[in-house]
Amino acid sequence: MPEPASASIELSGVSLSYGAHRVLDGLALRVDRGMIYALLGGNGAGKSTTLSVLLGFAKPDAGAVRVAGLDPVAKADAARQRIAYLPENVALYEHLTAIENADYLLALSGEPKPREAIVGAFGAAGLQERAWDQQLGGFSKGMRQKVAIAVALLREVPVLLLDEPTSGLDPRATADFNGLLAAVRERGTAVLMVTHDLMSAVDVADRIGFIDAGRIVDEVAAEGAERFDLRALHDRFANDVAAA
Amino acid sequence: MRIWMHELRLLLRARLALVALALLGTLSIAAVVAGSAEVDRQRDAIAVIAEPQESDIAAIAAWVDKSKDAGSAAYYSFHPTWDAPSPLAFAAIGMRDVAPFILRVRALGLEAQIYDGDIFNPELALPGRFDFAFLLVFLAPLFVIALFHDLVSGEREAGREPMLCALPGARRLWLRRVALRFAMLFLVLALPFTIAAIHSGAGAGAILLILAAAAAYLLFWIALALLVGRLGWSSVANAATLASCWLVLTLVLPTLAHVTINRAIPVGQGTEIALAQREKVNSAWEIPREETMRRFYATHPEWADSPPLGPEFHYKWYLAFHQVGDESVAGQVRAYRAGLERRDAAARTLGWVLPPVGLQALLTRLAETDLEAQLAYQDRIRDFHRHLREFYYGYLFTDRPFGQEDFARAPRFASP
Repeated sequence: MPEPASASIELSGVSLSYGAHRVLDGLALRVDRGMIYALLGGNGAGKSTTLSVLLGFAKPDAGAVRVAGLDPVAKADAARQRIAYLPENVALYEHLTAIENADYLLALSGEPKPREAIVGAFGAAGLQERAWDQQLGGFSKGMRQKVAIAVALLREVPVLLLDEPTSGLDPRATADFNGLLAAVRERGTAVLMVTHDLMSAVDVADRIGFIDAGRIVDEVAAEGAERFDLRALHDRFANDVAAA
Repeated sequence: MRIWMHELRLLLRARLALVALALLGTLSIAAVVAGSAEVDRQRDAIAVIAEPQESDIAAIAAWVDKSKDAGSAAYYSFHPTWDAPSPLAFAAIGMRDVAPFILRVRALGLEAQIYDGDIFNPELALPGRFDFAFLLVFLAPLFVIALFHDLVSGEREAGREPMLCALPGARRLWLRRVALRFAMLFLVLALPFTIAAIHSGAGAGAILLILAAAAAYLLFWIALALLVGRLGWSSVANAATLASCWLVLTLVLPTLAHVTINRAIPVGQGTEIALAQREKVNSAWEIPREETMRRFYATHPEWADSPPLGPEFHYKWYLAFHQVGDESVAGQVRAYRAGLERRDAAARTLGWVLPPVGLQALLTRLAETDLEAQLAYQDRIRDFHRHLREFYYGYLFTDRPFGQEDFARAPRFASP
């Protein structure tokens, strides 16, 4: 009998307003262990605010939020110990090398690792060996993402939050990144990525949610070998974005 | 420990921080060296007094011995007084720049001698000398601004802030960075001072007090920088705001306060006292000598039984009208001193609300280079001069001959 999936990310009835503007309106979504959830929506739909709520940066007016079973506002440090977050532009320290950056971020997280472990994670993340001891000044977005993903792998966090991870990546780099996400999923990590990139979502996500006006208006799970009906998804996404 | 090493590496790889710390360290060494050089120059000047003084007195003694005239001895003999710098004077030169630290006095009217040299280095009076106090009070805040203006905004502008804030212990990250920057600033600022202070034999208590004051002053500017940083402005806006605060707190407000205090507490010039005393002394030549002696004996009855003046010149009359001249300006001297003390007290009170003023006052007090120290030196001169007068009066008013051996009996100034 398959083991029942446990929710690593769970939002139920979450509402949040900035002044008179309601950004989240009864938002509910759930991401289980070993699942990649792609949250799609237009500008101002509430995607980034959802991440802010999960990171404990914003406190909802109503509803419940759990990250790895913890309230990210009340137990901010403990929750963040279980989260790796990659913003849209992974900005690291350009005057440090890739290894020094990873070493520093791991030390900041309170989870220092030896150099061997770091280079191992770089290898797993697909970062070329010649880049390991280079300063990040000349790194592409994809390379910086690989450094950050390697840090997330080393931290062995149960939750990975991604903000527009494939924007600005070329198709090859996007494919590499999606391959990397699939590997992360295999470790049992719950991944929530907010994105505009329907193609990337279709390629890697297990479930796609459409958010509009602060709530999930549509949700589709991957099924069979085909996974998603791209044409139908495109229409639904386009409609949602248009409505937004 | 490892995380601190990471933070240190990060700080030292940032060009602005590295340059700022290197520059502050260099300036700190330069300030201590400059202050020490000035204090050494003053100590050397004091040390070389003795030899020419001995030969000067020997020459006078040889000449006076022919006449055995105590009046000539009193008139021609200069007696050195000096204000030796304290072990911490190198850190805050203070008033030692503008007030004499050596004064050779004669047993004649004292006030003119004191106030003739009231200000001898006026070009240094406004900006002050480049010493540790100047560096700490005026320049150190600029280095605080350089290291703290972009503490958070720099991470925000680089796009790293969200990721850093999403890490566990994000609050500790900022505290650690503040602590590290403070520690580095304090280290490069205080280390040269501490070494020089120990080398000059300053007491541990005073050194610790200055270090504590320096730390508190840096923390004041750091708190201000963090406060401005919380407004969420850009790094450039933070830097501009903090630079404005620096300008207002270290230059504009102290200058305005200085002008206000000077207007509220009017104090004449010391040279006015010297001039008044000289006028009294000069006018004594026009007054009948008996009148002068009557006034002198009224305040110095112990010499009243001295033989009356004959028709010829007598130095006891000359010294008496000098003393009467001093006494005639005593009220002016008291008022002048009280005015200076009131101004000083007002400035110290202001120091409670203007940290740069308060710190400067504290540093010059601990270094014994403030007004209080200068007035204490004047008190020592007056005390010495009183002994000097009494010594010569003992000969003059009893018509005792003053031989070569009597020069050795003259009082000698002793520095505390």
